[in-house]
Formats: sequence, structure tokens, C-alpha cells
Amino acid sequence: MPEAASNSSATNKPFPVLAKTFTPEDETALRESLKRCSPSTFEAAVQFRKTGNPEHVPAVVIGVIERFVEPDLRTKLKDADDDLRLIEDLGIDSLTMMEIVILVEETLQLSINNEELRNLRTVGDVKTFMDCKLRGLPLPKPTKFLPIEHIGSVMPIQPPFLFLNEASISSAGANGKYKITGQEFFLQGHFKDNPVMPASIMLEALGQLAVLYLLEAGISEPGKAVNPQTIFFTGCEGVRAHRVCKPGDILTLSIKPKRMKMPLAVFEGAIRVGQEKTVIAEEITLTFGFMDAPATPSPEPTGSGPSTPTAPDLAPDSPPLKAAVSA
Amino acid sequence: MSRVFITGLGFVTSIGNDAAAVSQSLRELKHGLALFEPFASPDIPCKVVGTVKEFGTDSVDQEDWTFPSRYKIKRELLRTMAPNGLFAHCAMIQAIDDAKLSPEDISNPETGLYAASGGSPMLTHYHRQRLDKFGVTRCSPLGIVSSIVGTLNFNLVAAFKILGASCGFSSACASSAHALGYAFDDLKLGRQRRMFVVGAEDGNRDAILPFAGMRTLSLQADPALASRPFDAARDGFVGTGGGAVLVLETEEEVARRGVTPYCEVLGWGQASDGYNVAISHPEGEGLAAAMNRALKSSGVTPEQIDYVNAHATSTLIGDVSEARALRAVFKDRQPRVSSTKALTGHGLSLAGAMETAFCALAMKEGFTPGSAHITKLEPACEGLNILRTTEPVAPEHVLKNSSGFGGANVAVVLKRPS
Repeated sequence: MPEAASNSSATNKPFPVLAKTFTPEDETALRESLKRCSPSTFEAAVQFRKTGNPEHVPAVVIGVIERFVEPDLRTKLKDADDDLRLIEDLGIDSLTMMEIVILVEETLQLSINNEELRNLRTVGDVKTFMDCKLRGLPLPKPTKFLPIEHIGSVMPIQPPFLFLNEASISSAGANGKYKITGQEFFLQGHFKDNPVMPASIMLEALGQLAVLYLLEAGISEPGKAVNPQTIFFTGCEGVRAHRVCKPGDILTLSIKPKRMKMPLAVFEGAIRVGQEKTVIAEEITLTFGFMDAPATPSPEPTGSGPSTPTAPDLAPDSPPLKAAVSA
Repeated sequence: MSRVFITGLGFVTSIGNDAAAVSQSLRELKHGLALFEPFASPDIPCKVVGTVKEFGTDSVDQEDWTFPSRYKIKRELLRTMAPNGLFAHCAMIQAIDDAKLSPEDISNPETGLYAASGGSPMLTHYHRQRLDKFGVTRCSPLGIVSSIVGTLNFNLVAAFKILGASCGFSSACASSAHALGYAFDDLKLGRQRRMFVVGAEDGNRDAILPFAGMRTLSLQADPALASRPFDAARDGFVGTGGGAVLVLETEEEVARRGVTPYCEVLGWGQASDGYNVAISHPEGEGLAAAMNRALKSSGVTPEQIDYVNAHATSTLIGDVSEARALRAVFKDRQPRVSSTKALTGHGLSLAGAMETAFCALAMKEGFTPGSAHITKLEPACEGLNILRTTEPVAPEHVLKNSSGFGGANVAVVLKRPS
């Protein structure tokens, strides 16, 4: 019968908690708890329990997630970027998420309350969350996933010149995907009998992701919001293209804000196709202006069910992580 | 109203983990009882259990379990199972294979599943202990669905993507006979075209030992003597676990798919003793009433029944009560009677489904199972036609009895296909 790691009570204590000395009995219990995890996970857990050093936490958390992922999906986790989604990409359902949390709690001797879990949707979210918890830092805003309908509704740029299929926004930046379909109008002439995605358009796609970030997570002042009609491109620097992109390629775009002060927002951007470096832009600069924030967010009880998405709101996308109880 | 047939069987039992092994045990009267290691301690008075071989489900951690490698079960399914869920899952796979069902035949709104198990006292106990020791937030979110009484149907319905009717039945040792009866009704009434009927039990220490508190378990330490229904020296039942699955289908489905059924289910009946929470009516009144109703609903006279698979569990009162009920129903034309619990032990919620499946197998393969381990017949059973050995003749009309706590009695009538 698995023994939990110590006899400390399981109340919702704040942490970091380096509760007490790590006894040989604790180590035995920890080994039992983590018996289906990799040896390196166990080792990281021991180090954390001995030293309280948060450096070891990502290895523990990823090791625990790995243990609950079906074996054929584990390779995804091996070379995971932080955008790997727990539900959609790893097949972790809300009940498995609870199993993960309980084992992480047991291993790290901490408590996570259910509300905090809802926003953890990617591997990166989980790592950041644990890190903030252990260092006592405020939790970052959760990553927002924006489906194409939402992107279309907020962006001043529209098809056929919109080069984002999906996007996610966190406080650290934005990520997006665009699949080159081969139907893009400009591919007819670029090039003759040889459709290649123009580098200028790839730069445009990064710019569009930056616009989306600005609208969804950019700076604001009380009563003000970024006016979509005022965002324009002003310049870019350090642009290098490394790879020719053709129909069928899926561009993975990412931007990070570097500086932001009205009227300028500066980003760095990168595009990958799979793991291949494709485009780098050291700086992309946009101008923007404010407008009055939309009058008071629509009154709560509209009777139209949950969340008719308004611009600063989350579109309902992937299900939140809560225990699915239909009993 | 459509006729109803049994077209597929699956077995994980103490006397075999597939139809071939079960059939051989029934023909040769080979029992599946053994000294049970968890009962070895001197302060546990009972020693013998009908053990399920090839499966290791002692651990409270499902990922520690062992089972035959021909079954591939993902962790995602295993993690919510009780031991009885694992047994039944494997029996389901056999029954599906046996009935030659395609994935579309299984997952459609016209196919349902009725199941019965006593839940998993072992896992209930484990999760309860964790709750006390570590607090509710460290309890597995899957503790409930793996342990409460409906665990069997929850798991099977989800794992096999059942879209039709689903329900769990709880009338103790009559549970899976009730499940079969109501499945039959749904097919008759045209509500479903196919039903899986499932009985299963953990059959481990936690599931069986509490019956010792009622003084209903045999204290015999010799596995060959512990379960002997209708014998004068019987001293209680022997517990067992496992899983049994029957596929019931309407006549139209049998014709459409072109399969050969084991037998037809003609009808069933039930009646209650209204007498005692745990003790059978001394005259077997409820059981006799259930048998009469089953015969009436099947359009079969008592004279037509040529084999009764008795409920007889090898308890002092229960076996005599059933003997009296049989005498009341069949009077001076007693059919052949046997209790296969002499071989398997008593499967509790599993019993009705498992033993109906034995009868179906016997009808198809042409034998009538005998009642093993009788040295000296219980005097109160004089006049019954108790079959001591297996006969190589298939019965034409079978009556299957089941009784549960509270005096719930169920009888089912089966007919060999002509």
C-alpha cells in the first residue's frame, strides 16, 4: 500500500514549505509514490525535498506528467515546447489532471487548490505556475487560447489577408499557427509554377500576431483600450529567413513583447516549421493609439448562457480543468 | 413480441477462464476451490475460496495487477476498475468475440448493458483510509467510480461505448439474475435489440470474509469438501469472484447476423419471501412462487422442465428451503437438479449470470452438469432427483434459480434450440 510522504496534514497551506528534515522514511515513501516515474524524476524530487530549491521543480512536474501520459504519447513530452497542451496534445483528461496534481502535491509537500488548476492548459503553464508558487511570486495571467472565430472578430485585418489559424496569448507573449494551404492568391505568381510563401508575408503573419497580442494583452490605461484602427507597422530589424516554406507547411509563430510605451510597441518574433528554424525578426515595431474602453462590460445576466465573448474576454475553447462529475 | 436468444458467453471463473475450460470442469466435475492465502491466519476460521486463476488483483493500485496477456487494457481504463471490473471486462471481450459482434453491433442505441456486482469493499476501504489519513484533497478522484456498487456498469458502459440502456442491479445473490430478467423484458418489449448481462465479484478477502460474521461460510479446510450443496454434512458456502457475460439478442438480430444461439430465454419470474432480511423462508415460499411465475410466463409446464440449476449454496437453511420449494412446484415429477456451486463456490452477485451461462453452455454442448461432493444426501432433500454426476445429454428445458438477501427470488426458463 503506498504511503504518502509524511504525516503532515493536508490543509491548504501556502507554500513554499520546506516542512522538515527529509528522513530516510520520507525517502522510502517518496520512492513508493514515484515508483512509476523515471529515476531522474525521483532524484529531482529528493533534491527538492532536501534543499527546497525550486530549480528541481520542473523536472519533478514533467516527470509526473510523463508517468500519466499514455506511452505512445510520451515522445511528444520529450521534446515538448511550453505550448504543448495537456488536454488536446497529451490526452490528459480532467481526472488524470487531478491524479497528476495529487502526486505532485504528495511529492513536493504542497497543496494546490482546485481554482488554481483551471487555468493550467499547457506544459508551460504548469511549469510557470509551480515556479511562481514556490518562489512566492504572483501567478501570471493564464494562457488564453483563441480560436479562429475569435481572432477574426477582434482583428482589424481580415481574410484573405489574415495569416493566423489559431493563437494563444499569455503575459509573456503570443503563439500562433498558420497552415499554408496552397490556395493563397499570391502563390499563383510567387513563383511561376513554384508556390513559395513570400518572406514578406511571413513577416506580416508575425506582425499580425503582435497586433493580436496588443489587442488582447497589451498595455491599457484606466478607461482606455488599444484602438484596433490605430495599429500600424513602423519598422523591423534583424530579419533573416532560413527556410523555404511551401503549401502544406505549418508555420509556428511566436512573438514576445520587448518594450511597450504608447505609441510604440516593440516585439521580437520567430517562426518555426516543426523544429526547423524558419524566420527570425529581432525587432518588429508597431504604433498604436488608445480609445475609450467599451462602456461597462455587458451586464452579467443576459440569459444567453455562459460567455458571449467580448473583446477582452476569453472565448470558450478547451474545457477548463475541473473534475468531470456526472454523478 | 420478439423471442430472445443467448448468442455469446464470456467467463472468468474459479473453474475456468474461457468456455472450453469451464465446459471441461463441468463435465468432469472439477472444482475451482483452493486454500486462500489471505485466510491463512489462525484467527480466520474459514480457509477455502473459489479462486480466480491467472489474475493478480491483490494490490489497491490497478497498475500492479496482472492478467493474461491476450487482454490489452489501457491504463486509462484500468485505473477506474475494481477487480470485478477487470474480470468482467475480460469476460466481455470473450462474449463479444463468441457472439461475433462488430464494433457497430456493440455501440448503438439499440444495445444496452445490465450489470451486477457488490462493488469493491477492498477499494472502498482503501480510499476511506486515505481520506482519514491524508485528507480529502489527497484522495484519488477515481476512488468513487472504482469502488461503489455501480462500478461495474460505469466502467463497462464507458469502455465498450454502450449507447443503449444501462443499469446496475443490487439484490445481493439474485442481482445478476434480476439483470438478466430485466434485459429479457427490454428485448421482449422492443426497447432494445441486444443486451449484455454481466455479473462479477471481487471474490477477495474484503468481499468474502464479512460473511463469516453471519456464520454463513464453510469452515472446512479441505477444498474438496468445503462446498457440498444438498449434502448432510454441508456447513456453509464458499465465496468466489470472477466475471460472467451473456449476450442476449432478439430473434431478428439473430437472423440478421446469421449466428447460432446457445439457447432461447423463454421467460422469467420473481417473488419475495417477505420474511427475513437474511434467512430464506423455511418452506421456500418466495422461491416456489418465482418458479411458478417463470413457468407461467414461459408457457412451460413443470413436467417439461428436465433440469434445474439450483441456487443451493451449501448453507444449512438455504438448501433445505430450496428443496422444499422444488417439491412444491414439481410435486412427484421431479426434474434433475444440481448445484454447480459445489464446483465454483458461491459467486454472490455473479452467481445468477454465471450459472445461467453454464446452463446455456451445457445445452449447446450436450451435457447436464452434476452436483458434486455429495456423500450423504441431506435427509430433507429425499425425493428430489439430484444428479450426482454429469450426464452427456442436453436438457431441453432448464429452470435456473437465484435467491438473494431480503428473500428476493428469481427464476429463469431456458429452452434448447430445436
